[in-house]
Amino acid sequence: MMSRFLFVLWAGALSLRAAELPELWAERVKCVVAVQFYVETEIDRRDTVSYGTVIDNQGTIILPSVAANLRFAPDQLKDFKVFQPGDPASEPAEYLGVDPLTGWHFVRAGEKMRARLKPVTAFVGRADAAPIVAEEVWGIGLRNKEEDFLPYLLSARVSLLAELPQRTAIAQQEIAAPGLPVFNRTGEFIGLALSSFGQDFVQFSRNDRSGTPVMLVNVEESSAFLVASEVLPYLSRVPKNVFGRPLEWLGTYGLQPVDPEVAKFLKLENQSAAVVSEILEGSPAEKAGMKERDIIVAINGKTLPRFKPDRAVTIFIDREIDRRVPGDQVALTVLRDGQRVELTVTLVDAPKLAREVPRRYFERLGLTAREFVFSDAVVRRAKVAEQGGVIAHFVKPNGPAGTAGLQTDDWIKEIDGVEAKTFLEAVTRLAAIESDMTRSEFVLLVSRGGETSVLRVKLK
Amino acid sequence: MLPALLVALFAAGVAPASAAMSRGFQRVLDAVVRIDVREVAFEAGTKRFASSIGSGVIFSADGLVLTNAHVVSPRAVEINVTLANLERVGATFVGWDHWTDLAVLRLDLAEMKRRGLKFTFAEFGDSDKLYAGQTVFAVGTPFGLSRTVTRGIISNNNRYFEDSHGVRGYETGTFNTWLQTDAAINPGNSGGPLVTEDGLVIGINARGYIGADNLGFAIPGNIAKKIAAGLVRDGAITRSYVGLMPGALQDLENFYALSTNTGLLINSVDVGSPAAKAGLRGGDIVLAIDGQKVDGRFPEQLPPIQNLIASRPVGAKLTFNLKRGAESRDLVVTTEKLESRVGEEWAFEKWGLSVRKVSRTYARENQLTDDTGLLVIGVQAGFPADMAGLSRGDVIVKINQQPIINLEVAKKLHAEFEAKPEATLVEARRNRSVSLYVLKP
Repeated sequence: MMSRFLFVLWAGALSLRAAELPELWAERVKCVVAVQFYVETEIDRRDTVSYGTVIDNQGTIILPSVAANLRFAPDQLKDFKVFQPGDPASEPAEYLGVDPLTGWHFVRAGEKMRARLKPVTAFVGRADAAPIVAEEVWGIGLRNKEEDFLPYLLSARVSLLAELPQRTAIAQQEIAAPGLPVFNRTGEFIGLALSSFGQDFVQFSRNDRSGTPVMLVNVEESSAFLVASEVLPYLSRVPKNVFGRPLEWLGTYGLQPVDPEVAKFLKLENQSAAVVSEILEGSPAEKAGMKERDIIVAINGKTLPRFKPDRAVTIFIDREIDRRVPGDQVALTVLRDGQRVELTVTLVDAPKLAREVPRRYFERLGLTAREFVFSDAVVRRAKVAEQGGVIAHFVKPNGPAGTAGLQTDDWIKEIDGVEAKTFLEAVTRLAAIESDMTRSEFVLLVSRGGETSVLRVKLK
Repeated sequence: MLPALLVALFAAGVAPASAAMSRGFQRVLDAVVRIDVREVAFEAGTKRFASSIGSGVIFSADGLVLTNAHVVSPRAVEINVTLANLERVGATFVGWDHWTDLAVLRLDLAEMKRRGLKFTFAEFGDSDKLYAGQTVFAVGTPFGLSRTVTRGIISNNNRYFEDSHGVRGYETGTFNTWLQTDAAINPGNSGGPLVTEDGLVIGINARGYIGADNLGFAIPGNIAKKIAAGLVRDGAITRSYVGLMPGALQDLENFYALSTNTGLLINSVDVGSPAAKAGLRGGDIVLAIDGQKVDGRFPEQLPPIQNLIASRPVGAKLTFNLKRGAESRDLVVTTEKLESRVGEEWAFEKWGLSVRKVSRTYARENQLTDDTGLLVIGVQAGFPADMAGLSRGDVIVKINQQPIINLEVAKKLHAEFEAKPEATLVEARRNRSVSLYVLKP
């Protein structure tokens, strides 16, 4: 309490601030944690550590989107544990799911630990606290598990602010571990560190004297952060389920930015725009009359702002859609053959995702079959009517199926010469093959890159 | 190991060391020529000229020369032939067939008559009668060493060696098997003949494995003879296409409950192809085509079956007797004309843009909706296409809102740009994304 009182008193006195940093530090370290979990696959368990920020008094923690690959289903993410910086003891935690808009994974720490945690929201200061260029900012980095996730201080001055399209600050050097908060000199929360940006270097060596361009990415610390106003409004987006449903869906594919020269040619002055490459079958976009090659120029009557770089416009449009829910209507203005066309799209709940549908591992066959979903049809350019069969979700290296030439993501259309119409049909057939110890081989018809091929899987 | 294309020049004048130098052998040495080619290339946004050297063999009294398709192609703008007597004469391009890697040239007889030049032509032997172990000779210019004769044996007289990009990016080896020899064939040997001890041409040397020891390949003489006749007659070989991708049945006979020595496994059917339209599917087994039983258990048995289909007239109706699961059925497939994946190339020099027409085959392989468009194969740095951001691999589908259904449409638009340079809007696809570009004068 005392320190907080002092902090208020000294808020404007630059020369005196340095003295209180140790106290600001001691309090703010309580809002960062390390989260450990395993990603369980068919043949191994992969240890994963990510850093997170505590956002409320219930022990809710947000982890950056890169913490877990969305290819893995939630039931493959196991044994979540939360560590406080510098403390070897851990507390179990629950995985709450992923938020489609922010990409954050939400985790909740066990009750015993909650009292020792402090939410980052406790350090929200003035409503308009935003970093400015040249301002000094600081944050926390964490050492690895062997060093009990010891916290260490990082600081630098803000060197650039940009709209990418979210307002993002870039400091002179690393200021926090990705996913951890950034504070200003008075201890106010002013942003959340992003994954760091790659930096270009040229690498010279004895064998390569002319140099090879390389890009280095610091995965432990970052110099880029989202400003607080791009973070705080979204902290309430705790997923209602592990999949982050409801998930809105527009049904366009391959949104491409219109470069400034083209925009000028199309007489789109002072704004960005994006071309829609494809309209997916049966989607809300299709139902609203959207056509491929339409150029989106405005959303809900508001002209798209001009972004630098122009590719930020696609993220902007995606986020405008992602922040909505199924049932919401969106008015899109598109440019088609030089004419402006107004469309109203009613978003619906997205088709099932690969990580939501059933899958089954066949140890003796060396493959996991997964139900065929809408996005499988999209990437394979298959019509909705052609859907069926199963996807080889996992192929065991050097296993029978793998040796026969089956690859991950192959589309299995027939098993033993018989069409596998549904997931149930396919797994029933595969299970029968697996349990029949007299079987010495079976045959798959698989599709890859639009071509099919007959694979003979030897079991003996 | 990637197969390498070899340029072979069988030069006369070097007698084999063996005691018996037959008259026939001397004759074939006199019929072998060196070929110098100047050809146009469209890479990097501009027309460029490149030179290359190969070998060939004169095979008729009226001065026809056989060589490889990867030595002389329709892009040749100037062809010079050096005879065994070291005289150089001009030649014209007659035709090529990349599927068998063969091309035919015609010596400028008027020029030869004027200069009083004489030549000898070689005779073919029967390549079907070759046996593994038979002594053969290759003559050529490996690594520029002209008039090199190498000796070896037929290592295999029925080698399957298909390559989807083998001849300058064109498909080859689908319709024929190859002679394999251990006679040294090195880069520089291509187009020269493979001959027997008595000097009869039984193959045209074409390829080899780089880095391997003495694994050389030649097109069988009997196939060369037939293709050459077709090229002389029509300038091209027309083949039928149905859109089947066969696989070797090897050991799957039992699984499909087939009687011995029958069946061709269909691995894949091209989307939108005649076979697909007729209802053929991957996993089907072809038992007979037009009543003729087929046996495709081993890879080297596939080219003759492919050739059986290809050699039917375009538009022919072929009855495929199929086995699908337990049932068997007959499906009738109407053939289309076979097309290469590689379409016609061009360079739009004011735009600094090299393109290749999207072919039906390319569209199928890349799952494009149709064959509209031009594939960008090169851009010239600093020119409008490069400045706009177009790059290799983009497929230009529209220019100034006009669909580019053929090269002529684009040539017309380019001519308009040349006459009156104005900002031009280009719509291109890369993978599945559509992007717009502006070509600025």
